Amino acid sequence: MMKDSNGIMTKTSEHTMQINVGPQHPSTHGVLRMLVTLSGEQIIQIEPIIGYLHRGMEKMAETRTYLQYLPIVDRVDYLSGFFCSYAYISAIENLINTDIPIKAKYIRTLTMEMNRISSHLLWLGCYLLDLGATSPLFYTFIEREKILNIFEDLTGSRMMYNYYTFGGVKRDIEKELLIRIKKFSNEFLKAVQEYEDLITNNPIFITRTKNIGILSKEDATEYSITGANLRACGIQKDLRKDSPYLIYNNLEFSVPIGTISDSHSRYIMRIKEMKESNKIINQCTDWLLSNIEDNEINTKINPLTIKPNGTSLGEVESTRGLLQCYIEANGTEFPNRIKWRTPSFYATQAINTIAKGFMLPDLMAIFGSLDIIMPEVDR
Amino acid sequence: MIKSFIYPIKELIKGLLTVLKNGFKEKVTLEYPEKKKILNNNFRGKIKYDKTKCIKCKICQRVCPAKGTIEINETFKINYSQCIFCANCVEFCPKGALKITKEYELATNNKNELIFNEGIN
Repeated sequence: MMKDSNGIMTKTSEHTMQINVGPQHPSTHGVLRMLVTLSGEQIIQIEPIIGYLHRGMEKMAETRTYLQYLPIVDRVDYLSGFFCSYAYISAIENLINTDIPIKAKYIRTLTMEMNRISSHLLWLGCYLLDLGATSPLFYTFIEREKILNIFEDLTGSRMMYNYYTFGGVKRDIEKELLIRIKKFSNEFLKAVQEYEDLITNNPIFITRTKNIGILSKEDATEYSITGANLRACGIQKDLRKDSPYLIYNNLEFSVPIGTISDSHSRYIMRIKEMKESNKIINQCTDWLLSNIEDNEINTKINPLTIKPNGTSLGEVESTRGLLQCYIEANGTEFPNRIKWRTPSFYATQAINTIAKGFMLPDLMAIFGSLDIIMPEVDR
Repeated sequence: MIKSFIYPIKELIKGLLTVLKNGFKEKVTLEYPEKKKILNNNFRGKIKYDKTKCIKCKICQRVCPAKGTIEINETFKINYSQCIFCANCVEFCPKGALKITKEYELATNNKNELIFNEGIN
């Protein structure tokens, strides 16, 4: 097959042609270019070309102190910044042997689970928008807005939180805010029910997603896909259950798994995950409300003076899967190397295997269902 | 056969009713320039500098992630076109010379207007 570097409408043989999808495509959630080879309307091959959103996150770390790098970490995945913060901070906490106070653990869990819901809500709205439904976007944004307002009052920013610190969190959570979170979590299940009424059994949605973009178990493990995409295949793998961090040991929640990983099943997974996250939020707020007098939220480490030594790996089950941060420290205030393992990167590489053989109009239905976010891929 | 026809129609009607129900919900948006959101005291906006408290220790310069945003020589200079509003400088200022404000409408036609410069005592 002939390959053209520009790739626009190039006739490669009598029956196939290559077209560009992206980089400026509204459905690629960032800037991803896909070189799609078509035979008629059928996809023969897809080549994802990444790097349009590269900001040099890993190189940036080498010229910045651990404290200076902290606010930048939120930008690795701007829809779920708390997870990236946690992965980075837990790696450093391992190096300097700190045990964080129990209240900080609860606050971290609470914020991360709320972040998971807010990220899934944005995904849900945008995915339906990709498929041509406009109204779900507005309904999901109503709930998301509530979460972002809570985050704004707690951390000072809507998306770039800079809230976790080495050995805990920066600010205590007030009772008033906890009551607001409690109110949100009570109302949230009703909202999810509304989305399900609107979407789950909708005949148009089913025809567009059911048996579209099937990812087999073997392919998923081969491509190292994690998170909801993997669990939709029927493989139970969740870091919160496999090696519980923070206080996930004390919490009651289940990890939903599916049978066949098609676009519809991946949607169901995320809806179920939101419900489970809501359960966790409920339990965390209950604990925090009953321990409101406890003022110990961090271990009072001076972040200006930390000079860790050795290597460490911080990992977290983020919205999109397993997120890891590897730090190689050398005893100075600058790290030797920081490496990010981001789940979206692996999902992007699998797009060829998943979408091959389907129609071009199905491409966005498949790509959207994988919940890929480009800043995380390129970082 | 009839069932396969009725089921989708039933689901479509269910969806339409949900949309209709949302039409009667209370308004969630703000008419922005006229009405503004009430912000919490934690909100990280523009930074206020108090020259009487500053001791020129340069910690703000050291903790800033966007390098070159804060420069302290003869004057205290902060460039808002580079600032990422993380408020690290405010947090680590030992004398409390820097404060966060709720001011966030910083859009301007002239880039130089975003550079704040003030002499140090």
